[in-house]
Amino acid sequence: MAMEGKRYVIVGGSAAGMAAAETIRRLDPGGSVRVLSEEVDAPYFRPMIPFLVSGKKSPAEISLQGCGPYQAKGIEVLLENRAARIDTGCAQVVTERGESLAYDRLLLATGSRPHLPPGIGGVSSDGVFALRSLADARRTALRAKSTRQAVMLGGGLLNLKVAFALLECGIKVTLVVQSPEVLSQLMEPADAFLVRDALDQAGLKIITGRSARQILSNEDGVNGVVLDDGAELACRMVCIGKGVQPNADWIDPRQIPVNRGIVVDKYTRTAAENVYAAGDVAVTFEPITGAAIITGLWTNAVAMGRCAGANMADRPTAYGGTFGILNATQVARMPFVSMGIVHTAGTDYETHSRSSPGAHRKLVFSADGNRLLGALFVGDIARAGLYHTVIREQVRMDDIKKQVIDHRLHYGHLLCARRYS
Amino acid sequence: MTEAKEIFVRLDRCMACHSCEMACAVAHSAGQSLYTAISEKPTPKPRLYVEWVAPDRAVPIVCRHCEDAPCMHACIAGAISRSPAGVVETDADKCIGCWTCVMVCPYGVIGRHLEEHKAYRCDRCPDRETPACVNACPTRALIYQSATGYSRSQRQTASRAMLAGNGG
Repeated sequence: MAMEGKRYVIVGGSAAGMAAAETIRRLDPGGSVRVLSEEVDAPYFRPMIPFLVSGKKSPAEISLQGCGPYQAKGIEVLLENRAARIDTGCAQVVTERGESLAYDRLLLATGSRPHLPPGIGGVSSDGVFALRSLADARRTALRAKSTRQAVMLGGGLLNLKVAFALLECGIKVTLVVQSPEVLSQLMEPADAFLVRDALDQAGLKIITGRSARQILSNEDGVNGVVLDDGAELACRMVCIGKGVQPNADWIDPRQIPVNRGIVVDKYTRTAAENVYAAGDVAVTFEPITGAAIITGLWTNAVAMGRCAGANMADRPTAYGGTFGILNATQVARMPFVSMGIVHTAGTDYETHSRSSPGAHRKLVFSADGNRLLGALFVGDIARAGLYHTVIREQVRMDDIKKQVIDHRLHYGHLLCARRYS
Repeated sequence: MTEAKEIFVRLDRCMACHSCEMACAVAHSAGQSLYTAISEKPTPKPRLYVEWVAPDRAVPIVCRHCEDAPCMHACIAGAISRSPAGVVETDADKCIGCWTCVMVCPYGVIGRHLEEHKAYRCDRCPDRETPACVNACPTRALIYQSATGYSRSQRQTASRAMLAGNGG
């Protein structure tokens, strides 16, 4: 007798959702996979949207389907379709359009949205952006055409990328950072000097230790920003990049526990039967300490989404957790990789920092010196993945510590340590 | 379907002559010859690495084209995919040089073209019958074979050694 295929419903069509869909498609060809997405655009590589602002990429060029691991056919994506609530009793998702989708397995992958800090007035003015979606990028690109001066609030990675996109459009860009230095989430101020130099040389104006109090506007939208010291910056565009917060508000916490994000077990299951969660909206854990964390990283969302997909397709797969910091990028000709624990002020971690012309690194060990906990490489990021492995796998430092400190570790060291010692 | 071949490394045979690195760089140069490769810009680069572990061990390290390739899933640009032959490929046109692949590769075998701001890696020489590194190895430390074929030859070698040890 023919069995009916399983009905998989995925809420959210970005990294976690599509990685899960792809995995399910591969493991359970007989099931139906439907993805609800609130966006107008078919799934795309979200971290690429700054390239839309600069015009270096078109929307078609950042589309997900057919690129990288996203090759599967037979995934139905329902666009501009927002989930309103879940009826866990009847195993149905109800959309804002009033439709009901019955599921055998449900994934909650609604991601996150920009965090807009309270205390800044005028954030709803025309010309204020918090870049999150392709649609946001389109609007930003449009406004950029008539903009000569822009102010960026926040010194994180997203804002730096957008700042460079705007610089490439010939716009004068001022970055206002509340912290003492840019990228404070990814490195300590003392470790940021090479990145800062590169940003300064690229023509980005940076104001540190200040925050915005009020965004000014007239009938034409934004025309300035007032800082907390009273200084006024004229501009026609403001971009807010102050981190993200999980889209978990639509979840009824009586059905599915929420602690900022959706709480899951190590198999990515929520407390509700056959309901899973992954990506920015899920609470995950840091593998070394086990601490609960929420991240907003594409790479993590993909990894967790793939894991959830396998579990939903009845291949029990434990999720290994993720570092809160796991970033690689290049800003203004300066590449860097930051992973694990890299903030050491006021701690008793054993820390080794070295600088040479054009390069800086910092290796952070446990207080007893036996485990690598974090690594920051600026300028020279060669073989960074090995250090990632060493941190993750908690490799003992016995034979390799000198190589780790000197940034000379290669796979041969790990192989020989494992095989012959 | 015939099983795809892979590059296997016989650690006990490597003498650290670096011939494989040289052949790899030449094979990935425009001129395809050592004499022209030397003066080419950007300098042609090898995609495998012979490293040294004190006191006496040479270790050729080459992309494993991992089954669950971390680089492919981590890439934020969709530039890394698997070919029908099982080769994990980086599409240079799509690569934006964010180095996420470098951050997640557990073997440290993804290189960076600084001039072009692109990541590069072993492509198993798609236009050759046998990858250039394998052909260049004078001690046959690098073997190009299917996993099934390679494990069979390893078993046979071990069996012969055991028989020889027992006086045949």
